Amino acid sequence: MNESLDRLQEEIAERLGRSSSEAEIEQLRVEYLGRKGMVTGLLRGLKDIAPEERPQRGEELNRLRGFIEERIDACLQSLKADKRVKALAEERIDITLPGSRRERGRVHPLTLVMDEIIDVFHGMGFEIARGPDIEDDYHNFEALNMPKDHPARDMQDTFFVGAERLLRTHTSPVQIRVMESRKPPLQIIVPGAVYRHDDDATHSPMFHQVEGFMVDRGIAFTDLKGVLTHLLRQIFSAESRVRFRPSFFPFTEPSAEVDIGCVICDGKGALRDSQPCRVCKGTGWLEILGSGMIDPQVFRFVGYDPEKFSGFAFGMGVERIAMLKYGVEDIRLFFQNDLRFLRQFPSF
Amino acid sequence: MKLTLNWLKKFVDLRDAPEKLAETLTMAGLEVESLAPARAPDGSEDWIFELGVTPNRGDCLGVIGIAREVAALKAGRLNPPARKSPAQKSSTPSPVKVEIQSPRSCRRYSAQAVEAIELGPSPEWLRFRLEAAGIRAINNVVDITNYVMVETGQPLHAFDLDRLAAKRIVVRQAKDTATFETLDVIERRLAPDDLLICDGDVPVALAGIMGGRNSEVHSGTRAVLLESAHFDPATIRRAAKRLGLHSEASHRFERGVDPDGTVAALERALALLGEVAGGRPLGGVIDRYPRPAEPAAIALRQERVAELIGIEIKPAEIEKSFKALGCKVQAGKTAFKITPPSYRSDLTREADLVEELARLHGYDKIPSTLPRARLGGKPDARLRAERGIRSYLVGEGLVEAIHLPFTSAELNQRFPGLLAGRKPVPVLNPLVQESAEMRLSLVPGLLEDLKVNLAQRAEGFAAFALNKVFFLDGENNPTERQHLAALLYGRRSRLGLRAEEAPFGFLDAKGLVEGILERGGAEWGWSAANPPPFLHPGRAARLEAAGANLGYIGELHPGVAEELSLPRCLVLELDFEKLLQYLSPKLTVRSLPRFPSVERDLAMIVDENFPAQRIIDWIKDLRNALIEDVEVFDQYRGASIPEGKKSLAYSISYRADDRTLTDAEVQALHGELVARLGETFGAQLRG
Repeated sequence: MNESLDRLQEEIAERLGRSSSEAEIEQLRVEYLGRKGMVTGLLRGLKDIAPEERPQRGEELNRLRGFIEERIDACLQSLKADKRVKALAEERIDITLPGSRRERGRVHPLTLVMDEIIDVFHGMGFEIARGPDIEDDYHNFEALNMPKDHPARDMQDTFFVGAERLLRTHTSPVQIRVMESRKPPLQIIVPGAVYRHDDDATHSPMFHQVEGFMVDRGIAFTDLKGVLTHLLRQIFSAESRVRFRPSFFPFTEPSAEVDIGCVICDGKGALRDSQPCRVCKGTGWLEILGSGMIDPQVFRFVGYDPEKFSGFAFGMGVERIAMLKYGVEDIRLFFQNDLRFLRQFPSF
Repeated sequence: MKLTLNWLKKFVDLRDAPEKLAETLTMAGLEVESLAPARAPDGSEDWIFELGVTPNRGDCLGVIGIAREVAALKAGRLNPPARKSPAQKSSTPSPVKVEIQSPRSCRRYSAQAVEAIELGPSPEWLRFRLEAAGIRAINNVVDITNYVMVETGQPLHAFDLDRLAAKRIVVRQAKDTATFETLDVIERRLAPDDLLICDGDVPVALAGIMGGRNSEVHSGTRAVLLESAHFDPATIRRAAKRLGLHSEASHRFERGVDPDGTVAALERALALLGEVAGGRPLGGVIDRYPRPAEPAAIALRQERVAELIGIEIKPAEIEKSFKALGCKVQAGKTAFKITPPSYRSDLTREADLVEELARLHGYDKIPSTLPRARLGGKPDARLRAERGIRSYLVGEGLVEAIHLPFTSAELNQRFPGLLAGRKPVPVLNPLVQESAEMRLSLVPGLLEDLKVNLAQRAEGFAAFALNKVFFLDGENNPTERQHLAALLYGRRSRLGLRAEEAPFGFLDAKGLVEGILERGGAEWGWSAANPPPFLHPGRAARLEAAGANLGYIGELHPGVAEELSLPRCLVLELDFEKLLQYLSPKLTVRSLPRFPSVERDLAMIVDENFPAQRIIDWIKDLRNALIEDVEVFDQYRGASIPEGKKSLAYSISYRADDRTLTDAEVQALHGELVARLGETFGAQLRG
């Protein structure tokens, strides 16, 4: 190639390389390729040279023009890319800043536990029944085989709200109400508030129970064990140890107290520092619900033939389960509704 | 029931270590609540057991009863206490006569006079065991009666014989004897059917509960009359409960004492008095037992055992178990006849026997089964609604609160709930006077929560309660209704960088309710008339549907807030059950419009107290098919608006079902609307 054209090409490449703005590049484009540009001028001068040299010279000049166009485009591209990179860098934000949202509320922890229990029983085909908090003596005691002078009434100190009217001491009266109005088969749970004349760190004058019962032909104690073991393993853990031991409730016979392996010391009765576990008092077991086969006397009260039907019933304290599940030490926290307490529970 | 291990060992040769024994007892229904090592006065090792004895097991309120149970559980061999043979009984008559006038309440009355007593402190071993059982030592005579009670389960009482002037014990109902001074120096008011032990005409003891001061053993006592009786559980319980007098004796009588054990207990006490206090019998045992207990046989069907427990238990095991419990067993082909011992008054029915069998077999050895599936369960509509509301309110930032349902008469008067004049349900035996009534409203509970959280410097508090309120209906019958209440105070809680949120206002409370009413179902209406007196009269509304009062929303009356030392806040309370009745269960989706709508705004300058809703109602009443919707979107007071006036801005959406409305059409429609509004309301139109 012609030496002067080579130099020109170098010069252009060098000037483009030095340019740092779109305007500068556009300026160079005009200078070389514009109507009055240098390369344009050279191309125009082709007509003045010898015809035999024209093709070669023409080719050379066109190549030069192509080179310049290409270079200019490339420079523009790279400039644009640089600009984008710079802009992106400038728009960088601090992703460690906190997310922004309206704070959600919370469902009360007792509702959470109650819902969980209800769902396990729904899964087993139990339905929900409800009853009044203000009960009469008949449904709360008498029909549950606790006549007036029965010492078992001592186990349940009662609030009275009128002649023969009281605040139910357990959800069991709903058993009676349901059986009075329906015939077996029945598989029912009763969530609700109950009341005892009691007030300290582990007893509240009002607390919640979920009562349940199942009545049909041929329901046996083995079924009671199966259903309650299933429940407790759903609520606590699939590996929970569950034990049944004899107890006494006037409205069931046989009666059973149900314990689970202590959730604090893992059933060992002692903590890692070999101090006895305070929660299970070193026994490794936690009393979690009362249960039993419905007493034939109860069936007679509601007009069922105890020779035909049998069934089991059980009741558990929702606060106690919540306290164990979440490690809550004072039952009164559930009723103070302090945001610092409530917000520790999940919002969905 | 507390006892020491060595005491128990007198009556049973134990097979296991104390911890193992405790486990055995717990798993058989005699829950060992605590077990602690102790040292007896002679230096020997001992253990103190505390047992939770269920109310049906009166027989286990004595060391011997527990020994029997241990033996039945195969955890030891029973050494029954030796009995004196009847031939050794004294032939001299007792100086005391006994007459039972209330045989229903007193089945048996045995007594023994003892003389030559040297009253003094009990020996250390006796005091140790008594105190381990939780009973304070007093003097050897009283201590021995208590010791024998803990050992045998039979309560004894010692009268100072010299203070029984008539020497004639009469067991009778109190009838018109109005008061009696018990040995704790309290004048007790009696009921006519309380049971008294009298010396002739003079009452000397409240039967089965506590002795009298007038016949009490004292420092000069030289002779006593020991009483060992069987009283009716219900009689004793009624009196003890009414008098609030719970004694070791009444505790046992209420739970059933062995009617055949009275004399053996007397003999034991006599022997101990001789050993410890130099006492000698004065005459023989007096024993009035007009109708001795006839133990009845109970049938136990093998089939029934299998049905109730769910497993087959072999006849040999059945027989062995009941024999171990001291029952007489008569085996038949498919059933047994079981006669329980006199001390097991709790065994009266087949079901009781099934329980004993399951207990001795071991609950842990009974397998678990799941009952066959029974289909037909259904979702619970109420539960769904409650969960839905909770989830909605939680999403709106409210926390759920649960309160005790008790409140004070003052708060009930101040916050009577949905209807003024509802009568509250009184609590007859409240824990404290501030909780002497059942709540009429959920609002006081939420206000209390606000206080609790303000004390923790909360900047905002938004909470709801979904729970029952209680009141007396027209016939004074207690009624319960599920209410939904909420409280909004301060600013909404935001997480993240600080950004300004407007404080909660009336419209936030209204919006919260409208979010529920969005479900449709009825013509909801808000009324500013007759606001509840505890609300700001200008910032309160009642929600109505089909003429029914569903609840209220509003700002707490500033005066009420001031009196309760509360900041201004918003409250609302709805009758949740009624609300559910009106909420539409059904939903039908409209197809989406095919043609676009056109929005036009208009603003009107109206009097300050002109309700914005009136314009909306008026436009809707036109029933113009081309007007799709009207909304108020702004309320403005300020520089360009004259004093006492405000500007309301509305957006009107025009749409036709069958075509795209042209600009000209909309212009004409809107122009006419604006003109008519101007005429009708005399309002000045802006913009």
